[in-house]
Amino acid sequence: MSIQFLMILVLVVPLGFAALLWFLPTDEKKLGLVHLIGSIASSVVALMIISNVLDGERYFVFGDILFIDSLGGVFLTLIAVTGVLINMYSVKYMQWEVKKGDIGVKDVKLFYVLSHIFLFTMTLSVLANNMAVMWAAVEATTLSSVFMVALHKGKRSTESGWKYIVICSIGLAFALYATILLYGAGHAVIGDGHNAMLWTSLMDNAKLIDPDALKLVFVFALIGYGTKAGLAPTHTWLPDVHSEGPSPASAMLSAVLLKCAMLAIIRFYGLVGNSMVGFEYVQNLMLIISLITIFVAALFILRQHDVKRMFAYHSVEHIGIIAFGFGIGGPLGIFAGLFHSLTHSLTKALAFCASGNIIKIYGTRDMRKMGGLVKVAPVTAVLFGIAICSLAGVPPLAIFASEFMMIKAGLGIGQYVAVALFIIGLAIVFIGIFSHFNDIMFGEPKGEILSKEVELSANLPLIALAVLVIVFGIFSIDSWISLLNNATKIVVGI
Amino acid sequence: MDVLSFLSVAMIVVALAVFGLRNYKLAVSAYVVQAFILVLIFLTLSISHDAGPLFSWAIVALFTKVLFVPYILFRLLKKIDIESEVEPVAGFFVSPIIALGFSLAIAMSLYPIYLKFSLIQEHIPLIAAITVFMLGIFGFILRKSAVKQILAFCTFENGIHLTLALTAYNSPGIVEIGILTDAIFAVIIMSILATRFFKYFGSLDVSKASELKG
Repeated sequence: MSIQFLMILVLVVPLGFAALLWFLPTDEKKLGLVHLIGSIASSVVALMIISNVLDGERYFVFGDILFIDSLGGVFLTLIAVTGVLINMYSVKYMQWEVKKGDIGVKDVKLFYVLSHIFLFTMTLSVLANNMAVMWAAVEATTLSSVFMVALHKGKRSTESGWKYIVICSIGLAFALYATILLYGAGHAVIGDGHNAMLWTSLMDNAKLIDPDALKLVFVFALIGYGTKAGLAPTHTWLPDVHSEGPSPASAMLSAVLLKCAMLAIIRFYGLVGNSMVGFEYVQNLMLIISLITIFVAALFILRQHDVKRMFAYHSVEHIGIIAFGFGIGGPLGIFAGLFHSLTHSLTKALAFCASGNIIKIYGTRDMRKMGGLVKVAPVTAVLFGIAICSLAGVPPLAIFASEFMMIKAGLGIGQYVAVALFIIGLAIVFIGIFSHFNDIMFGEPKGEILSKEVELSANLPLIALAVLVIVFGIFSIDSWISLLNNATKIVVGI
Repeated sequence: MDVLSFLSVAMIVVALAVFGLRNYKLAVSAYVVQAFILVLIFLTLSISHDAGPLFSWAIVALFTKVLFVPYILFRLLKKIDIESEVEPVAGFFVSPIIALGFSLAIAMSLYPIYLKFSLIQEHIPLIAAITVFMLGIFGFILRKSAVKQILAFCTFENGIHLTLALTAYNSPGIVEIGILTDAIFAVIIMSILATRFFKYFGSLDVSKASELKG
C-alpha cells in the first residue's frame, strides 16, 4: 500500500467507524466490540505511516494540503499508541457506568461515535500542511469532544462543557488571527494563495517573511493554541473539563489532545525561529510562559483533594514542562520537549485510567475519603503508583528521562536561573503529589469501599501503558530516537 | 462616504446593538442585520475589487449566517422562556462603552500591521473587522447570559470572516469551508448546551454556575 493511500485511510477509518457505530443497534456488547476494532484499525494504519517517516522522509497528499513529516510522526505516535490503549480501557469503563445507572447505552453509543470523530479531528490536525486546515481541525477537536466531556447530565457537566467550548473558542479565535496575518505576510513573499497557506513553503521562505509581522503572529498563536494546550494564564478551562468527563475522555484529552495543540505552537515556533526574528525571541516567550504555567499548576496541586482535578493540574504542569524544553531550545531542549510529549502522554493516560479504577472502588473522587488502596486493590495500586512516580519524575521512569534531558540542556547553555526555577517548581509538585499519594495508598480506608479490584481485562491496557512508561524510561529505542532526531531537525531548520 | 465605508461603520453600530440590547429577540434580530451587512460588504468588495471568490462567499454567508444561524438561535429562544438578560458585568450602560472604547483602540493599533499584508487595501473595513471581532470578545467577558455569549461568538466570527475576506480571499476554498463548518457546529453545540443550562440552573446566567472551583 502506498503511503499516500495510508494517509487517506487513516482519516477515513475513524470516520467510517463513527458512521458504523451510529447505525448499529444500541447493544452494549456489539458497540464495544466495533469500537475496539475501529480503534485498533486506526492505530495500525497510523503506525504503518509512522514507520515510513522514521528517517526524515516527507509525504504529501491532496495537493500538498496534508502531509506527514517526522514532527507530525511524533504526534501521530501519541494518537496511535496512547489513543488505542485508552479506547480499549473505555469499553470496560463504560460498562461500569451503565451498570451503576449513571448513563444509558445510548450515551455509550454517543461516546463511542464521538471518540472516533475526535480521533479523526486530532489526526487531521497532525497531518495538516495547510495551516488553516490545521486551525479548523484543532477547533473541531473541541467541538467533537464537548459531549464526550459533558456526557453525564447535570449541573457540573453542563458547566464544564460550556466553559470548555467558550474559553477554547475565544482562544482559538486569536490563533485564527495569527493564521490570517501569517498568510498575508507569506503571500507578500510567495505570491500564490495555495502555497502561502502551507507550512512547508512558509518554512522554505521563512527568512524572507516580514519579521515584525512574524513577531505578532507568534504572540497570537501562543495565546490561541496555548489556551487549547493548557498554558497559563488561559488554562482555567482545563481542570474543570478534565475532572468532569468520564475517565477515558479525561485521559484522551490530557494525553493526546493537549499535545496536538502543542504541535501547532511548535510549527509556529519553528517557522518564526527560522525567520529573521530568530530563535531567541520565541525561546524567551516560551520560557516565561512555561515557568508561569509550572508554578501556577504547582500551587494548585498542593491544595487539591479531588484526584481528577489534581491530575488535571498535572496536565497543566507538564504542558508547561514541554514548553520549557522549547524555551531552553537548541537541538537538545527541543528533543527533550518532544520526548516529554510522549512520556507525559503515556503517564497521564495511565494516571487517569487508574483513577477511573479508584473512583469505581471508592465511589468518590475525594482523596481524603480513600486510603489503604494497596490492600484493597493491589494491581490498581501498583499501576497508580507507577503513574504517580513517573509524574513526579522519579528515576528510572519515562518522565525522569525527559526532564533530566531538559535540565542538562538548560545548564549546557547557561540558563542557570531558569533551570533553578524549573527545579523549584518540580520540587513543589513532588511534595504535593506524595502527600496525596500517601492518603490514597496506605493506612485504613477512610470511607466506603464499593467494589474490590477491577477485572484483569480492564487492567490490561493499563498494564501495557505502565510497561511503556518503564521501557521509555530505561531503554533508548532506536526507531523512536531516530524519529525524534529528525523531528528536532525540522524545528531547528537543519 | 463611499458605500464600503458606510457599510463598515454600519456593521460596527449593529454589532454594538447586538452587544447592548437586553431583549433577546431584538438582539438576535440585530445579529441578522449584522450578518446581512457582512453579505453586502462581500458583494461590494467582489465588484469593486474584482474579487471573484467573494461573490460565492456572499452567497454562502447569506444561507449560513443570515438564515441558518438565526434559525438555530430563534429556536433556542423558543425553548427557554426568558425574554431579556440579567445585569451584565459593569452594568447595562457602562459595559457597551467599555467594549466599544477598547475595541476601537485595539483595532486602531493592530490594523496598520494587517493592512500592510492585505490583498484588499481598504482602511475602514479592516478597522471595522477588528473592532467587530473585539466587540465579540468583550461580549464574552462582560455579558453573563448564555444567549448573549453565543451572539458574542457569532459577532467575533463575523469580524474574523471580514478580516479573512480582506486579507486572504484568494486562499484555497477548503479554508473557508473549514472555518465556516466549525462556526456552524459551534453555534449548534452551544445552543444545545444553553438549553441544558437553562434546564439545570433555571437561568441563563453563566456566572451562577460555580460548582467547579479551585
